Amino acid sequence: MAAEKAAASGADYGDGLRKRPVPSSQAASARPAQPEDNKKFVRKEKSFVENFEEWEPVFAPILFTILAFATRLWKIGLSNIVTWDEAHFGKFGSYYIKHEYYFDVHPPLGKMLVGLSGVLAGYNGSFEFKSGEKYPEEVNYAFMRAFNALFGILCIPMAYFTARELNLRRPAVWLVTLMVLCENSYTTISRFILLDSMLLFGTVATVLCWAKFHNQRHNSFEPEWFFWLFMTGISIGCVCSVKLVGLFVTALVGLYTIEDLWNKFGDTKMPLHILSTHLFCRVIGLIVIPFLIYMLSFALHFAILDRSGPGDAQMSSLFQANLRGTNVGKNSPLEIVYGSRATIKNMGYGGGLLHSHVQTYPEGSQQQQVTCYHHKDANNDWFFYPNRNEPDYDPESEELRYIGDGSVIRLIHSQTGRNLHSHQIAAPITKSANEVSAYGNLTIGDAKDHWQVEVIRDAASRDYSKLRTLTTAFRLKHPVLGCYLRAGNKNLPQWGFKQIEVTCTKENNPKDAYTHWNVESHWNDKLPPSDPGVYKSPFWHDFVHLNVAMMTSNNALVPDPDKQDDLASQWWQWPILHVGLRMCGWDDNIVKYFLLGNPFVYWGSTAGLGVLGLVVAWYLVRWQRGYKDLRPADVDQIHYAGLYPAAGWFLHYLPFVIMARVTYVHHYYPALYFAILTFGFLADWFLRNRNAGVQGVVYGVLYSVIVGLYILFIPICWGMTGSNKQYSYLKWFDTWRVSDS
Amino acid sequence: MARSSTPQGSLRQRNVGSKKGESTVSSPEPDISKLAKATQKKTKVDNERDYKIALAIITALAFVTRFWGISHPNEVVFDEVHFGKFASYYLERTYFFDVHPPFGKLLFAFMGWLVGYDGHFHFENIGDSYIDNKVPYVAFRALPAILGALTVSVTYLIMWESGYSLPACIVAASLVLLDNAHIGQTRLILLDATLVLAMACSLLFYIKFYKLRHQPFSKKWWKWLILTGFALSCDISVKYVGLFAFVTIGSAVLIDLWDLLDVNRAKGALSIPEFGKHFAARAFGLIIMPFIFYLFWFQVHFTILNRSGPGDDFMTPEFQETLSDNVMLANSLDIQYYDTLTIRHKETKAYLHSHEDHYPLRYDDGRVSSQGQQVTGYPYNDTNNHWQILPADGNQETGRNILNHDLVRLRHLATDKILLSHDVASPYYPTNQEFTAVSAEDALGKRANDTLFEIRIEHGKKKHNFKTVASHFKLIHNPSKVAMWTHTKPLPDWGYKQQEINGNKQVAASSNVWVAEDIPSLAEGDPRRNKPERKVKSMAFLRKWFELQKAMFYHNSRLTSSHPYSSHPYQWPFLLRGVSFWTQADTRQQIYFLGNPFGWWLASSLLAVYAGIVMADQVSLRRGIDALDHRTRSRLYNSTGFFFLAWATHYFPFYLMGRQLFLHHYLPAHVASCLVTGALIEFIFNPDTADEESIYGPRGGPNKHVSARERFAGRSMKGAWIACLTVISIAIAGWYFFLPLTYGYPGLSVEQVKMRKLLGYDLHFAK
Repeated sequence: MAAEKAAASGADYGDGLRKRPVPSSQAASARPAQPEDNKKFVRKEKSFVENFEEWEPVFAPILFTILAFATRLWKIGLSNIVTWDEAHFGKFGSYYIKHEYYFDVHPPLGKMLVGLSGVLAGYNGSFEFKSGEKYPEEVNYAFMRAFNALFGILCIPMAYFTARELNLRRPAVWLVTLMVLCENSYTTISRFILLDSMLLFGTVATVLCWAKFHNQRHNSFEPEWFFWLFMTGISIGCVCSVKLVGLFVTALVGLYTIEDLWNKFGDTKMPLHILSTHLFCRVIGLIVIPFLIYMLSFALHFAILDRSGPGDAQMSSLFQANLRGTNVGKNSPLEIVYGSRATIKNMGYGGGLLHSHVQTYPEGSQQQQVTCYHHKDANNDWFFYPNRNEPDYDPESEELRYIGDGSVIRLIHSQTGRNLHSHQIAAPITKSANEVSAYGNLTIGDAKDHWQVEVIRDAASRDYSKLRTLTTAFRLKHPVLGCYLRAGNKNLPQWGFKQIEVTCTKENNPKDAYTHWNVESHWNDKLPPSDPGVYKSPFWHDFVHLNVAMMTSNNALVPDPDKQDDLASQWWQWPILHVGLRMCGWDDNIVKYFLLGNPFVYWGSTAGLGVLGLVVAWYLVRWQRGYKDLRPADVDQIHYAGLYPAAGWFLHYLPFVIMARVTYVHHYYPALYFAILTFGFLADWFLRNRNAGVQGVVYGVLYSVIVGLYILFIPICWGMTGSNKQYSYLKWFDTWRVSDS
Repeated sequence: MARSSTPQGSLRQRNVGSKKGESTVSSPEPDISKLAKATQKKTKVDNERDYKIALAIITALAFVTRFWGISHPNEVVFDEVHFGKFASYYLERTYFFDVHPPFGKLLFAFMGWLVGYDGHFHFENIGDSYIDNKVPYVAFRALPAILGALTVSVTYLIMWESGYSLPACIVAASLVLLDNAHIGQTRLILLDATLVLAMACSLLFYIKFYKLRHQPFSKKWWKWLILTGFALSCDISVKYVGLFAFVTIGSAVLIDLWDLLDVNRAKGALSIPEFGKHFAARAFGLIIMPFIFYLFWFQVHFTILNRSGPGDDFMTPEFQETLSDNVMLANSLDIQYYDTLTIRHKETKAYLHSHEDHYPLRYDDGRVSSQGQQVTGYPYNDTNNHWQILPADGNQETGRNILNHDLVRLRHLATDKILLSHDVASPYYPTNQEFTAVSAEDALGKRANDTLFEIRIEHGKKKHNFKTVASHFKLIHNPSKVAMWTHTKPLPDWGYKQQEINGNKQVAASSNVWVAEDIPSLAEGDPRRNKPERKVKSMAFLRKWFELQKAMFYHNSRLTSSHPYSSHPYQWPFLLRGVSFWTQADTRQQIYFLGNPFGWWLASSLLAVYAGIVMADQVSLRRGIDALDHRTRSRLYNSTGFFFLAWATHYFPFYLMGRQLFLHHYLPAHVASCLVTGALIEFIFNPDTADEESIYGPRGGPNKHVSARERFAGRSMKGAWIACLTVISIAIAGWYFFLPLTYGYPGLSVEQVKMRKLLGYDLHFAK
């Protein structure tokens, strides 16, 4: 394809595409076959066939889009209860409407769009989105669902154009489009207030832009080349801002870019400055732009959510102090004295509040647990007390004894009265560090309850002799063991409620932010209230902080043998469509939705991946044996239309194999798209040079099977009413729990 | 030694303009320069003498370093707890269970058998005295010491066989020889000595095999192929990380096969049947045969362990019936209707229990209960654990055996209530069904359906008798198909901290398994208890093996708990952390498992250098700059590349492993890194190699192996020798410095300990 620079001028890509000298006769479509070369196209008397040829790229996508609208929107409001993860994403959308700060593991763009749909629907954010609850009158949930469905609908024309860009013949293009359109799982997942339709949209859009960009490769630095480069970057940025799964499609584009640059690097005729311009453009288009979009989505997130809400505790104290309606930093006395009650915040990225509760460690000392916790409750409150060698704190006395750098103090947990304590027992997870527990009471205890304050910095003052609310960062050193109090984002097992482990680390590293603490809320009646929260935390700090917190709690989503979750499924079950998922209760009076794909699309596309492997192996062995089966154009076709989609499938699938977190069937959906593209490529590859009769029969059978199965299974997407027994004919296997028993 | 197709293959296509590209494809010229042949023969004898002398010296030193003070400490050290114990079990022939395959442990048992030890000591605790317990521990430790010493020689031989110069061979071997980690690990009763030797041998044998590639299917060719397979088999039969050696050798074989398939091959194209023969021979030698060997060790394992022992519990009852003196199964009785049973949860050992008290109306989280009678799990013997088993049809006839899949009711004797489950959430699990007990009137009347349970025996056939002890079963609630389940989180005070029993919707989970323990209603002397002497049953080997294999993988994947000295793979090449094996406070002696930091760091940094050289070469080739001569490049990619591949395949997979890892998992990779080091020392410090033409003659192809002597004929090796001596002296210094930590002798003062905490190693007695 290297010589076709002129043909693909890019100005009229619709036609230019078709003109590319692909190995076989182009017009071998499923319909009236006309082995006629398009280059001989004469614009005079147009027969029906010619009209069809010319207008197909216009009306076919429109037709498919109309069908997509019909299948995705039909009876979208049938179920009037909060279904499945609408409970999460609807709720998150509400927070944007209410401007309340919340925390979630996914980046904000998708949920902001949900919020936007709520605004458009005239919803005021007051509904709680409790799972299974009925939507109240004032929530126009059907509109919100339709807004989400729009993303799912747009996937269909984009799949059509992607297949065209991948140089598939028309019947194969239709096949790919039909497989996306008539995919029951895609249909179902697009019909609710979920992020998956947006994720799918982003993935499909990125592939489309990538293919477009690839087809511009001989027009480097032309406007259209730049356009598709930046479009690729923008869609990468958007998809990654919806769910981090978008990173996998980013990796695919990255792989392509590396290969492309490596080839250009090997082209010794290319001047060095052109080469570096190529590199520079890609860095801008594919790294800088996506990252800016990602950051922008967070900037919007922070800008919209300017009120205190349930997610405050995930953020740094200074960030919280700047939210409206917060208690942090408001009316807190500035300087800490003995007898002060306070919450103590870890300053590491994603750090929580120092916490203790009556539950004990099941191992080690078996004393009371001390953890870091992200939610505000009374168990986060600690009293600052003098050490056991100093005169005791006297609540009656009016004397104020300030705490500063070097003070040796005790911290007493306000709910249980126990002292923060450490001893030479290995911590439960980080075995090399000492365990931290809560032990004793006012009178019982020893020097191992003592902690020495070491001030690291103070945003408000250079005077380290006093500990200040919010602004002072300090470390707590255990004078007996010489270790430092640390909370390093390691989650405890279920017995510790997955809260963060608190240890006493032997390493003395003053730069380790996980050993830095600050006082967040501070109560003391003897001191005048003041307002220490006038300092702002920089955006960059909040951005990194929130991202680390997201990673940390995402990692905490590991499967828990104690918790039985019959919705979860495993990676090996997906490609073979081993299980489906019940999205709601299965009572007779509930409209039931079952998340299950079109069996042919799943099994066919999975088999296609294996067949592609065989095809590639076959040609490789033939090549090694000296047969010249393929022209360079054929190799290119296998490379870009076959191998890249297959690589995309691996990139979207393997991470879930390795990942130890809880996985669900819908995690496979982006990967499925790549499997579908692979299947389309194979159909095209095997049939492109067959005669019209064979093509007609094979494609006809494929189309009708796909459409037939889709229609057969459509009740699970559009909602099953009445007794689930009526639908037992869809229960082909015991694991497809469409109906009970 | 694998001839990778990549560098040459891509070279061939590239139009870099040099003649190099063509010369890579060695012309199919069978005749070797006669001149070279003659010289080779003549000088062969003295050529190899210096290599042999060096080998002898290094081997002798290896034995000295491994055996020096091997009897110290005379106490159980670290994992000797496990592997010593397993050897004792073999000697006592009692069945045990372990996650590692049997070969390594069998070797220890063999050693014990040789010296006539009876296995009476069970290595219970670290620090137990061998002297007091009269254990021939020196014989046990001698085995890994021998194998560990041989590893050094094999390392040397690998370099020699690959045609490296003498200084390169010596560098590689002495880095292993003087490595404290290898010494420390191979002086104790641990499996790694066997593992590392087997891995090194597989490399050596494969290189030998590959060098014979121009005489395929000759006797010698077969010999080395089979030996490679055998070494691989030993590797994987010691620990499953031996699989990595398969990946190493397998990748090399695949590349080799790919080249054999090449129609433009130097020695002429192979026909497809010929290629098939090559393929089949390798598949047989490197996959089928090793697998048969692997199975063979299991057969030995099962043959030796024919008595019941601590591993019984891991196996199914059918398996346990193949072991003699299995007390538990001897008591197995057929259960009949109207018998009274005690039913025990297999995992948590709690009995199915009930008592007068009822569930509270409201739980702490606000959900409500049925307020029915509590059904709980209780770990102690109690008459409240007695349940009478009733037929579903109410047939009064006694003496009928219960069969698999029968529907039954369970009557709680003490309260005269009948077990029931229904669609009410259990106290802790909103998703699981509550279990309760109702009066007989209700149970047979309006709630008759909800009291029906199915006995589903694990792996049971249709008409299987339901037995005590031997039948592991699930109790499936008939209408709702949930399985009776319990877990260890105790109920609140209202449930007397007993275990919650609930109905689990995930029926397949193995935690749903219960066992009927006894029939208290049968008197001691009841005729049903008198059973004929039970015969030891037999079971097909493959079934036994398959069952054990499954259990091993299952338990291996659950070894995720943390250990104070476990480390992460990224720490290993930098030697950031060791493992404390043993301490003795009064003498201030300790064994701290740690490599020789200087040797270790050198090897790791040269790995990076290697990667850098290859990358720089690729990048410059891409731009049409060819800096290396073809001979050097071929050696760099093929031979050194093979070592690097061995390192990578023995290192990176650990990143994917969830289980706890220790520094000793790096030892096989470390051997490979030493090989790379030796090879690179030669690459960096060698003089320019002699002209290709002077070695091969004007048109010669590399049809025979060229020894280092021929390559460097007449060149000065001074640079390489100086580098070699420098490396060795640094290695000796490091080895000597950490010697007290490796040999556990002598004890160190505080300053001495502190001096050795180079990277903050967590040594003992630093205060």
